[in-house]
Amino acid sequence: MIKLSGIRKKYGHHEVLQGIDATVQKGEVVAILGPSGSGKTTLLRCVNFLERPNEGELTIGDFTIQCKRARKQDIYTLRRKTAMVFQQYNLFRHKTALENVMEGLLVVQKMPRDQARERSAQLLDKVGLGKKLDAYPSALSGGQQQRVGIARALAGNPEVILFDEPTSALDPELVGEVLAVIRTIAREGITMMIVTHEMSFAQDVATQVLFMDEGVVVERGTPREMFSDPKEERTRRFLKRIAPEPIYHI
Amino acid sequence: MGEQAFEFGLIGVYFMKLLPTLRLTLLIVVGSIAVGLIAGTLAALPRLYRVPILQRVSQVYVSFFRGTPILIQLFLFYYGLPELVEPLGLDLSRTPALAFVVLAYGLHSGAFISEAIRAAVTAVDRGQVEAAYAVGMSGPQALRRIVLPQALVIAVPVLGNLVIANLKDTSLAFTLGVMELTGKAQTLGLLAQHFLEAYLSLAALYFIISWGLERLFLWWERSLLRKQGVAALPRLGRLGRQALMRRFAQEARLGREGASG
Repeated sequence: MIKLSGIRKKYGHHEVLQGIDATVQKGEVVAILGPSGSGKTTLLRCVNFLERPNEGELTIGDFTIQCKRARKQDIYTLRRKTAMVFQQYNLFRHKTALENVMEGLLVVQKMPRDQARERSAQLLDKVGLGKKLDAYPSALSGGQQQRVGIARALAGNPEVILFDEPTSALDPELVGEVLAVIRTIAREGITMMIVTHEMSFAQDVATQVLFMDEGVVVERGTPREMFSDPKEERTRRFLKRIAPEPIYHI
Repeated sequence: MGEQAFEFGLIGVYFMKLLPTLRLTLLIVVGSIAVGLIAGTLAALPRLYRVPILQRVSQVYVSFFRGTPILIQLFLFYYGLPELVEPLGLDLSRTPALAFVVLAYGLHSGAFISEAIRAAVTAVDRGQVEAAYAVGMSGPQALRRIVLPQALVIAVPVLGNLVIANLKDTSLAFTLGVMELTGKAQTLGLLAQHFLEAYLSLAALYFIISWGLERLFLWWERSLLRKQGVAALPRLGRLGRQALMRRFAQEARLGREGASG
């Protein structure tokens, strides 16, 4: 289980996150929606301390961290329990697909090389790149790179995978292959938090939807509640703008 | 006694006579680059990690060595340093001039090397570090495994230029009486009053070494790039970008061949 309580983040005088609470059960897929500048990416980056929250408490599994008093060692522990898939993929440029997936296993988990290689090859096979093990990122398409990114995230057996707009940098025709992979691993019960603009995907895969605006969670609920019958005016306006066609549930 | 008529054959003779002196010149280059790498790394670190006071010290160091002529730096070290340390009870009057030369050139190169290191490390995409952190690496692990290997590829061509510049700068060491290549060539020219021949063979020798160094660094860069799958390099200077475009063009060609084959 993941629990965020009272997460606050300030840049100078501007408070980007104004006390966020959220609970994510094991196996849940949480979609975080909202206009740009609403703080959704910052929130995601606070969960693995790529951004350090100024206040609040973070629980992942059996590990709780007080954001204000977090020490280096706490942050490393936290990061070992999470993984992230980036908008720009951020694959290690000087390493092959296989090495990208192996890197964390070797360096962080100190797994023996043979074992790490075997596990990484399996994961790459799972995301449909079993034939691209030795390819460098520069030789892969955006969709392929992002799938390597997902395999890399899966490698450390994290309690949660954080997806930061995983398809936003992709050519439209490559979005499908990445979403398909995310959907597959979602079905396997891996806990996920996804910041996305893919509304139909969120509706389809998410178990919980958070709508954020100006640093607060404006509304939350199941995809059904949120997409067909949003309570808040702000949510309604946003969904209208993003998906002009009304989405009906019968 | 006037200057003698030009004798073509002397160029080869002088060239052979200069060769043994090459050792001293290369010793200055290797010694000062070694000093420079240490000084450069030490100067780059506080600026990369924004260490409050040391950052300033490093800035002053770099500005001084970049902003004054190397000849003046040589004089300052040779004549100034012994005076400076004398009150501390250190007697440098018997220290060979070579030591001052290596130190001066080393600190001079160090200033430029520190800038090269700083530029290369900052040029590595921030996302690379974030990805390293996200998989759980510590700061030093991310630096060693992800940032430095990528920074090295960016730094190697710049480093190559610095070593070649350093080689040519050593031609001023004779002003302190160190008999390196240029000093030797001058003596040879003076003895037989065949200056032009002496300087031509000297130029040829410098050129050959520079060219060799250029090839060596190019080979190093290429082999690093090959090992890294011709990784895309961010933010370079104009020359770097041109080289990069050529490389991209080449890569695209290879890609097409791969796709059609």
